[in-house]
Amino acid sequence: MLDSTGLFVLNLLASLAPFLIVTVSLNLEYGYAGIPNFGKTLAVAGGAFVAGVIPGRFLAFLFGIGKNLSYIDDNKQIVSAINRQLVTDPVLSIGIIILTLIMAVLIGALLGLLIAYPVARLRTDYLGMTFLAFGQVILVIGNNFPPLVGGTLGVSVPDPFAFVSVYSIFDLLPGEMRNLFVITFMSIVALLVFLFARRLTRSPLGRVLRAIRDDENSALALGKDVQRNRIIIMIFSSAIAALAGALYAMYTANVFSTTYSRTTWTFWPWVMVILGGAANDLGIVSGTFIFVAVRQIISYYREFFEPILPFNIVWLDTLLLGLALLFILIYRPEGLIREKPIKTIKIESLSVEESKKASIKQTSGFREELKKIIETLLKLPKKKETEEI
Amino acid sequence: MVDILIFTDALITSSILTLLTLGLTLTYLTTKVPNFAHGTFASVGIYVGLTVSKIFHQSIYYGMLPGFILGGLVAVIQYIAFLRPMTKRNASTTTLMVATIAFDIFLIAILNIIADYIQIGFHVESRYFILSNLDFFVFGTRGIILVAPILVIAVVVSLFLLLNKTKFGIAMRATIENPLLAGTVGINTDLVYIVSWFIAGGLAGMVGSITTLWYIGNTNVGSDIFLISIFAASVTGGIYNVYGAVVGGFVIGVTQSVIIRQLAGIVGAWIIPYQPLIPLIAMVVTLLISPSGIMGVDLKAIRKRLAREADAR
Repeated sequence: MLDSTGLFVLNLLASLAPFLIVTVSLNLEYGYAGIPNFGKTLAVAGGAFVAGVIPGRFLAFLFGIGKNLSYIDDNKQIVSAINRQLVTDPVLSIGIIILTLIMAVLIGALLGLLIAYPVARLRTDYLGMTFLAFGQVILVIGNNFPPLVGGTLGVSVPDPFAFVSVYSIFDLLPGEMRNLFVITFMSIVALLVFLFARRLTRSPLGRVLRAIRDDENSALALGKDVQRNRIIIMIFSSAIAALAGALYAMYTANVFSTTYSRTTWTFWPWVMVILGGAANDLGIVSGTFIFVAVRQIISYYREFFEPILPFNIVWLDTLLLGLALLFILIYRPEGLIREKPIKTIKIESLSVEESKKASIKQTSGFREELKKIIETLLKLPKKKETEEI
Repeated sequence: MVDILIFTDALITSSILTLLTLGLTLTYLTTKVPNFAHGTFASVGIYVGLTVSKIFHQSIYYGMLPGFILGGLVAVIQYIAFLRPMTKRNASTTTLMVATIAFDIFLIAILNIIADYIQIGFHVESRYFILSNLDFFVFGTRGIILVAPILVIAVVVSLFLLLNKTKFGIAMRATIENPLLAGTVGINTDLVYIVSWFIAGGLAGMVGSITTLWYIGNTNVGSDIFLISIFAASVTGGIYNVYGAVVGGFVIGVTQSVIIRQLAGIVGAWIIPYQPLIPLIAMVVTLLISPSGIMGVDLKAIRKRLAREADAR
């Protein structure tokens, strides 16, 4: 059995992990590329819908369940039959997890390509409106097209994590064991995504994007393909966001299109990014953490607040949220932690003088320094050649 | 055959949309930022209407004046307290857009608190309510059917007179064209901005107070249902033109209510829930084909080009 502290931490991580993935993705778009994506929920819902559509039907076909039943109308029956078989088959379960995530990433990338089309053509303010509209489209379709995710009634998602509940450590209940495993898995994926984005933004692509964000014309003048780079980042970030949607859907084991509302999956990530500081890895992690933690604490002390306030406490939550965001935007628009210039390996190694000094001072890193100096010396003559031409 | 119910629905939808779009276009022209909280100004009006009709037991039409004032005040607060300081600190368009979204969240929270208070304190149904039974009747037709279009005409005419016949209106147009230059000739541009925001919020609040005669009222109606139609109408009509709002409002309003029902007759009733997609499609298509909207289409240039092509042939 988990005690209340354990439960608190677990719940915190459960919302931290998917939101961290979404904020990382939004940070790529807004922080590094300056694209105002107010339709973040499109990619997230896209990923979740993949989890709602594909694994269930695939498994029903594989196990031969519900041949005479409609997948949507008899959803509960079919999914519980699938779960009964899936529990005994860890290999297939893991295969399903991987398959769903890969499909979600692909669909996310496709959606990113779709919404990248206006990015290349419209100015910031029009772009914001268009993204908002795109975010709404998927919700309208999800709500009204039952074959997708059952319309407003939602669908259940087969639980590929259920096999863990057979094993038990620390005297945990089967359900808790399952949740512990899913949340650990989500956290690991979030960490991987975070490291990937960190690597991506330190790559030449990241530098080009920042250049485009700060001054499109100078980037153009330096021969950078502005539109192509923007499209690439939209594809990457949408794929990442879809991952979050799919993970969240598998964790909650169901998909309701109303869950993927504009407020939750577009505006909250925006608040997190702006609170922490755009284009700063540490910033967005702290922003996401603060946001999730504050909400968690408020809901934890719900019983305490409820008799005092003459209204539902949810509104106090959103009221403080909106107000906090407004004051941050006025008094500290760069967020809690400012964007810092990123030092890349190449720039360090290019300054020969400095690396020589460093090599004298630090004898321990002598070999690396020597290697760097040789590398730079090898590069320098090449540069001269090009200049002569 | 267009049936009478579809016709009235189209008329009322278009009228409401036009009045809301006029405000959005006005704020966009002055502040150069699409106000994502504009739909919620209408929600403010909705609750003014509810208060006047259900708590004070007056005709809901009396809610129009307090609706105008309250909506205008909320808009002015948004401008003075949040947008103006940000513009002074050279905030980017994206930052301003996020600020309007934040204000929207804040405003919706306040509305929800008020709605809870109305529900608990006065035992009045304050969510998903419709007040169509409070309407008056003229020769057997509902009052709103007459009031909505008359309101549009009155507003457009007075806006036209304001912008063209008064000194302040000319100052407004000058500020829209070039704020710096207007400032140098002694126009108080800040006052112009405040007045535009007041009119914009006021129109939204006024029209909001009577929408519940035709539509279901709730705290999220403005931001979830109206906002995208407003953007669509504004963009379709031409966001750089005040009168484009009228064109856009009617085009989107009519398409939204007529075309979907005609389509339902052909392909089946399953299509009706997809109605919200129509303004979205209209908006995306306009932005990709003619970003300056219907009023932005340069007819002269097209005519010239056609003539030239005819000559060439």
